Amino acid sequence: MTTATLAGAEANPRRRLKVLASQEALLAIAVIGLAIAVGLYNPRFLAARNLSDVLLGNAYIAVAAVGMSMVIVSGNIDISVGALIGVLATISGTLAVNGAPIVVAWLAALVAGVLVMALQGVIIAYLRIPAIVVTLGMLSILKGGLISVTGGKWITDLPHSFHLADIELFGVLPFPVFLMIVVTILAALWMRYSASGRAIYAVGGNAEAARLCGISQPRTIVMVFALHGFFAGAAALLYATQLRVIQSTVPPNLELTIITASVVGGVSILGGVGTVIGSTLAAVLIAEIASALVFTDVSPYWIRAVQGVLILVTVIADILRRRRMAGA
Amino acid sequence: MKLGLAFAFLSATLLAGTASAADKRWDGADDLPVNPLACSAGEANAAPAAKPYDGGKPTNATDKASKPITLVDVPKLIGIGYFNATSKGMQEAAKALGNVTVKTDGPTEAKIDEQIKFIDNYITSGVDGILFAANDPVAIAPVLKKALSKGIHVVGYDANSTPDAREWFVNQAEFNGIAKAMIDSMAKEAGEDKSFAIVTSTFTTPNQARWIAEMWAYAQKCHPKLKWLETVEAQEDNNLSFNQATTLINKHGDKLAGLFGMTSVATPASAEAVTKAKLCGKVAVVGLATPNAMKPYVNADCVKSVVLWNPVDLGYAATYVMRAVVDGSLKPGATSVDAGKLGKLNVVNGSEILLGSPFIFTKQNIKDFDF
Repeated sequence: MTTATLAGAEANPRRRLKVLASQEALLAIAVIGLAIAVGLYNPRFLAARNLSDVLLGNAYIAVAAVGMSMVIVSGNIDISVGALIGVLATISGTLAVNGAPIVVAWLAALVAGVLVMALQGVIIAYLRIPAIVVTLGMLSILKGGLISVTGGKWITDLPHSFHLADIELFGVLPFPVFLMIVVTILAALWMRYSASGRAIYAVGGNAEAARLCGISQPRTIVMVFALHGFFAGAAALLYATQLRVIQSTVPPNLELTIITASVVGGVSILGGVGTVIGSTLAAVLIAEIASALVFTDVSPYWIRAVQGVLILVTVIADILRRRRMAGA
Repeated sequence: MKLGLAFAFLSATLLAGTASAADKRWDGADDLPVNPLACSAGEANAAPAAKPYDGGKPTNATDKASKPITLVDVPKLIGIGYFNATSKGMQEAAKALGNVTVKTDGPTEAKIDEQIKFIDNYITSGVDGILFAANDPVAIAPVLKKALSKGIHVVGYDANSTPDAREWFVNQAEFNGIAKAMIDSMAKEAGEDKSFAIVTSTFTTPNQARWIAEMWAYAQKCHPKLKWLETVEAQEDNNLSFNQATTLINKHGDKLAGLFGMTSVATPASAEAVTKAKLCGKVAVVGLATPNAMKPYVNADCVKSVVLWNPVDLGYAATYVMRAVVDGSLKPGATSVDAGKLGKLNVVNGSEILLGSPFIFTKQNIKDFDF
């Protein structure tokens, strides 16, 4: 069964991988090129402190985009993730201020994330309701539920040990950046080399062929959503522990930023194509652009426009590439 | 190729970069007329054009001058620190006056339809006066007008309704008052000739744009050497505010001596950015914020002034205003009202009572507040 799957998926991806590699290479060049360009304009941009701050402040977006990329590769979408991150941050923070052991407060975010996302995966996979509808519903439930339960009251007085994001490994490497790198590499290897990882591409690329190869589509989708929930939980922990207060509201437009990272990272919105290395690089690029706009005195009005241009250009390029491949 | 395009786009925006004229208002300010206050407390402020009374009037209200009255207070929502504080102020005022009973009741969520139901029920059960903080200025108007038509006195505080739906509104702070407190604090903490930047929600958010315009006007008038570097947008997003403040710190380095937080989100996030950059004492953070979110920074001596108003005083003033309305000592055309321990409060904008100068939370007093 597994051999059939791999053989089936192999022929095409080999060609695809070339293109994908160039997608990631392009992003890497863009990240470095932009840093140099802005550094020429304002050398302070290249200060180690600033580069590290850019990564540190946005690592949670890259971590969430890893899960989002898996969801999109599987041919689905999730627009509830921003609201979920807000809810998970609040759960974790509430436990921490009420005296729960810190490890329990951290684990709760991961477990709750997996449960909520797995539930959505089950509804999408077994009841065959489109992901956009299910996650839109969940978005409303989480958003409304959070404000009802907390009344918008912020969580303050968090215990010092709660602040996971403050940890520096070996005294230099901030934990969020470390987590972003490790999560990206492990997820990329898993998706590339393991049977269950490859199944995500198979299900998203050609559901019918995947079924014929013996891959259970519903099971793969539930697995993808459960994993996505885990990454959302990890992102929520970074998000919640960065500042002294937790806002107890849903971070505005967070899901859009996360989806943007995936899409600009080369994950095809049509499913079946893309890597988490691309989405992490894209998350870094988007964060870098936001900082670069301030450093180059460009009006912040442009940030959303620039993000929009990046999305459109990437999606159009993806569609054109598919047409060319279909024509060839 | 696609990134090449994005680059071309980005470099085009770079070339188009901003060249600001000297007399141009700071980014994030609106274009409305400004009315900066006098520089020192002793000087008289330019009197704004007097506006005739534009509030409503109850029909056939029973004369209860100097007699015991029963009031109900319907805030936006109950159970949060802020409205617990206004409620506390009302109880203090009721105790000081001796002939007022006031009860706070309202929705547990800031929902206008719920709030209307609460007010409607109290009109039916009968009270002498209603105090309110509106969830929506227009939607609340009909039920308040109904109260007036039944002879019930209506006074608003914190969040206004359309003027004709209530008699008076206790305004917690005028834009120019907040602006003066912000700029004076910055000049004192950062230095008269130092540079600062602003973290706001968006350039078009009405309140923030008004405050920034008044801050600009007041700084031009009273602290002309204070140098504005730039304004950045951070929505109402904690992490984005933190990132933007951090970027400002990294960009301007030693030049940056102060950060203004224009929202209750931006201020603690800016304080966090300054703390993380180990620049407490070097970069002053001044801003609008609620005390609970600022306690860690104020207690750590990283932030010295948090500008807001005192909600306990706000509730206290609203109760005194209601008593004065019932007693007939506050009539249309009056220019001030006596508010017990707060002294005389001025009438502004036709039918509003100004609470006074903003309240500044400091290390000494911040522990007394929980909201």
